[in-house]
Parts: sequence; C-alpha cells; structure tokens
Amino acid sequence: MSTDHIVQIFRRVLETSAVDAHSDFFELGGDSLLAIRVLSAIARDFGTELLYEDFVDNPSPAGLFARVAAVVP
Amino acid sequence: MRVVVVGAGLAGLTAAVGLVAAGAEVTVLEARDRVGGRMHGIPVSTSVVADGGAAYLGVRHTELLAQVQEYGLGLASTAMAGDSTFLVSDRRRTTASRMPPLDAVALGDLFDRLEDIVASVRPDAPWQSPEAERLDRLSAARWLADEVEHPDARTFFPLFLGEMMAADPAAISVLHMAFYLRSGGGIRYLNAFEGGAQQWRIDGGAHLLCLALADRLGERVRLRQPVSAIDQDDDEVVVRCVPDVVGARSEYRADWVVVAVPPLLAQQIEFRPALRAPRATAATGRGCAVKVHLGYPAPMWRESGLSGWSVSTNGPLLSTVDDSPPDESAGVLTGFVTGAAASAFSALSTTEQRDAALAHTRQLFPLLPPPTQCRVTDWLAEKYSRGCYAALFGPGDWLRLGPTLTEPHGRVHWAGTETSLEFFGLMEGAIRSGRRVATELINGAESAAASRKVLSR
Repeated sequence: MSTDHIVQIFRRVLETSAVDAHSDFFELGGDSLLAIRVLSAIARDFGTELLYEDFVDNPSPAGLFARVAAVVP
Repeated sequence: MRVVVVGAGLAGLTAAVGLVAAGAEVTVLEARDRVGGRMHGIPVSTSVVADGGAAYLGVRHTELLAQVQEYGLGLASTAMAGDSTFLVSDRRRTTASRMPPLDAVALGDLFDRLEDIVASVRPDAPWQSPEAERLDRLSAARWLADEVEHPDARTFFPLFLGEMMAADPAAISVLHMAFYLRSGGGIRYLNAFEGGAQQWRIDGGAHLLCLALADRLGERVRLRQPVSAIDQDDDEVVVRCVPDVVGARSEYRADWVVVAVPPLLAQQIEFRPALRAPRATAATGRGCAVKVHLGYPAPMWRESGLSGWSVSTNGPLLSTVDDSPPDESAGVLTGFVTGAAASAFSALSTTEQRDAALAHTRQLFPLLPPPTQCRVTDWLAEKYSRGCYAALFGPGDWLRLGPTLTEPHGRVHWAGTETSLEFFGLMEGAIRSGRRVATELINGAESAAASRKVLSR
C-alpha cells in the first residue's frame, strides 16, 4: 500500500498515464463523479473509507495517501 | 421521387430538408398544430422562451452543432457559479461541489459497477453484446436490488437514471440502461455540464432550430395531419390521415414514406401489409419527464451565492437547473420531475402540480420570492409524443426491436432518435437518423429491391 498504488488508481479512472504522486486530480480533468470512484477504489484496496471532503482537500495521490496513513494507525 | 415524411420533429425535418436538396418532391405530415415534436418553446416572460423539451448539447453533438451554425443560431453556456443545494430526506444543505451529501464510497462503488456494464455493451449492436439475453431480461431495478446494498447508492440510482434518461429503473432493462449511457458518450460525458452533453443550450430555445428547418421547407409541411394508416403496393404508398378538425379524410400518395415518430406512435399506425417486426412492444415505455419552469425577474439565487442547481431525494423536483438567458433579463429555474415521480406528478390536477412544485421550491430556496411564472410541461400526457426524452426499452425490447430498428418495411423507412444507435434519445441522434434515412432513399436502388422482397412474401 503506497502512494504509487493511488497513482495507478488515478491512471485507471482518469484514463491517462500522465499522473505522478503530486498530480492534481481536478487539473487532470477529474470531476466529482470520477473522484468518488477513486474513493471506492481506495476503500476496496486499503480498507479505508475517506470522505469526499478529504478528496477535495487533498486531490493528489500523495495527499490522499497521507490521509489514508493518518486514518490507519 | 415523391416522399411523405410522417412527423415534423427534428428527425423528420432533417430528413425532409436533405431529400428536398436531392431533388425529391417532399410532403411532411405533422399531427400537431406546430412543428418540433419534443423540442418546444415555453414562454416564461414577455421576452424569454424556455425549452419545454430537449434543451442541451455538447461538443460531441457534431451534426447538431453544424445545423445550429447553418441556421444562424447561437449557443448559451450552461456554466454555473455558486453552491449546489441538496434536499436529502427533507434536510437542506448547500455545498460548493455538485456531489450530493451521500456516502461517497458507496456511490463510487455504484458507478464502478455501472462503468463495467456500460463497457460491456456493443454500441453498434447492443442485442449482440456479451450476455445480451440476460441483460435484456433483467430490469435495472432488479439489478440494483441484486448488486447494490448501500442505502445511499440505492437512493441515488433512480435519481441518476431519472436525470440521465427519464427512466424509472423498474421500467427499463439493464441492457437499455447500459446501451443508453454508452450511446450518449459514456456516463461521465452524459452527466457533465462543462465538457459534457449539457455544455450549452440553443440561445432562445432549441425549437428555433425546428422552426428554421420548417421555414426552409415552406408549404411542404402540413400541420394537423395525424397519420392513421399507411398502405403500399408494388407501385406506390398511400398515407392516410384523420385530421383533428372535422373534415374529409386526406390521402397522400408517394413512392417512399419516412416514419419519423417515436416508436409507441409508429406502432399505432395501421400498416398494410402489416409490419413484420414491431416498432414497440407492451414493455416499451414512455420517457418519464415533466419539466417545470419557474420564472423570476432575475436569477436572484445567484445573489445569495447559489447556482440554482439542486438535487432532492424526494419529488417532485428531483433536480433543478439555472436556465436563465445569458443577458440575465430574467431568471429561469427548470425543475425536472422524472422517472416514477413523473408518473405520480402527471396524475395530479394542474393546481396540485403547481402547488407541489411551488412548495418544493420554497423548501429548496427559502430566500426566493414566489416565481412570477410557473409552467408545467407534461410529456407523459402528450398524445403526439408519448413521453420524453425518448422511448424506454423495457425487458426483452432490445432483442425484439433492436435488429430491425432501421430495416425498411417495403416502401416505408424509419427515422427518429430511437432509430439512432449513436446518441440515442438525444437531438443529435434525431439528426443522425434523419440524415441516414435521407441517404437511404437517395441511394434508393437497393431499397427498391428490398421493397419487392417484402411485398412478395
């Protein structure tokens, strides 16, 4: 479980390979409908259910992974 | 070549203009006293006309954009600023995003499942998709009950299908749902305003396009001519009308007929010889959409930082959109009553409809004064549309109707947005079907051979 894993989720959902750890999901064309699919993938793969607000505040793979790490002790 | 086009909606008018350009002698028969079909202007103030029916378009609607340009019409952006309003189980909230205050992970999971099904459909022949038989038999409501557990996802699903395709999940097959979402460009494109299928409106109303097409056709368009029967033999076709007004029944003779009306209406026409394949079945439903237009002196919700966009988990107004004119000379909120809520709303009296819509609006936007106008456009009750946005293919319909959607019945050819596998149910699909059918007739040799085949059986 890593930032890189979330990079892969972004790539799949956004259908682009142009994603790195610090890419902003919304700048890459993501919208709320796609964002919730990232959240469901994180919930499936990491067992952590983040809120939509978490996503909006941390819209990069690194930012989201930090949220996941903060929730999972 | 003499051609009678039945139906002066966007598909029929597009076909007629194309056929006239190719030198055909064309008559367009329209049942109503107006052209446009499911595109209809509704005055909401002395100077502003709202879209009672089809309204929105996006960059992928290339044929529609070409017509808009050709006829000198303008586009109005739907871009909105401000907060969304949500009424979830009667609790009101406003948020900066368009995401309803429901469990995001559960909704994401729902859309993952939907994406998988949409991706599995063959857009060029949905009836040949993998598992087509199973998906055609299964209703979308049954699919939800089997696949999705979270209450928030179950709450959101009918709202989503209502908004996307004016469907009650119980009334459509999973195959129809998946095909429709795919045909319109995928869930994300179909759902989006900016960058999606709702990027613009036609400035002044989408009906202006139909008026422009009809204007080009001039006296070829005959209003108040509901078609009741179409007879054909080796030599010609006779189209029989029963005008609404008392008077002699009229007949129109032609070499070819284009039927460009929704499937439920096409199915009501008496064909001799009879149709070999139906246009609609007992499972085929009406698109369940009622639009409520609320007129204000200005888009006043913007002053309090609201976009006018709302979603409610209970009806009647399951969503609202700011459809005000670009010059802000009036405020127009369009309320969408869709799916099962539309059927219930349609059964109310005019007064009850108005009271329910106004009460809901007060709940959504308590700071707004009462609207100066409240206009209800009930497509379920429209005799000559039988629903809107488009026909709903119920369980079994795609396998039964799909393979023959565009197959001519002798001298009778088919158009209408429900005959277009591309952008099915949208204005773009209507235009593409009209162009396709005009091309079929212009390259008529093939069809002539086919017609003899039908009649000799």
